[in-house]
Order: sequence, then C-alpha cells, then structure tokens
Amino acid sequence: MALNPTGPTISGLTEAEAKEFHGIFTTSFIAFTVIAIIAHFLAWQWRPWLPGPNGYATSWLNDFAPMLHHTISQLV
Amino acid sequence: MWRVWLLFDPRRVLVALGIFLFVLALLIHFILLSTDRFNWLEGPHHGATAAQMAPLPSK
Repeated sequence: MALNPTGPTISGLTEAEAKEFHGIFTTSFIAFTVIAIIAHFLAWQWRPWLPGPNGYATSWLNDFAPMLHHTISQLV
Repeated sequence: MWRVWLLFDPRRVLVALGIFLFVLALLIHFILLSTDRFNWLEGPHHGATAAQMAPLPSK
C-alpha cells in the first residue's frame, strides 16, 4: 500500500513513526483487554449476567427465607 | 496493519477512542446502577420487587 513512497503520507507520519506508534498502540490495547477480561471475570463471580431458562439461580436460603420467617414467627 | 497510521492521524484516533470508551463505560455503569440486580451501591430492593411480583390480593 505504497500511497506515495516519496512524498508525505496522509497522516503526516513516516513509516518508521507509524511502526513505532503501532507497537505502542498494540501493547496498550493488549493491556487494556487483559484488564477488561479480569474485570469481567470478577463481575461474573459477583453476579452472572446471563440467567438460565428458570431465571437467575438463587441460593436455597433465598427461596426458603419467607417460610422460615413465618415458622419462627408462629413459634415465638 | 501498521500502515493504518499512515492514513489516520494517531492523535485524532487516540482522542476519539478515549472519548468513545469513556462514554461507553459511563453508559454501561449507569445502566447497571438502574437495575435491581446489578446496583452495587444500594443493592436489590427486595420489598419493591416482592410487591411488584406478588399476586393480587383475592377478596
């Protein structure tokens, strides 16, 4: 893609400058992506965002908490 | 691939990318805060959800 081998390029960068910036950009992009993957992993551990066919899974305590409260209130 | 920087000015690309990612992050965070499940500041509102999901009282 030799746009104009002798003259200035459209962006004004030389090939050496473009290669140098590309190295910095690639490294930064990879670092950003790695951090984003870690953040997504932690967020999924906290609360998964894709519910199953029966909705989000809950612990048994959530399902039986009202019944436990009712039972305890009857006893006390 | 590096030849893309011969076409696009890196300064403008960086500014545009920064603005885009910041606005996108802000949007996603506000959307999450507006939900019941993913609000990390106030947590789920069990009372409000239970009232909405409860069946109508039968008389």
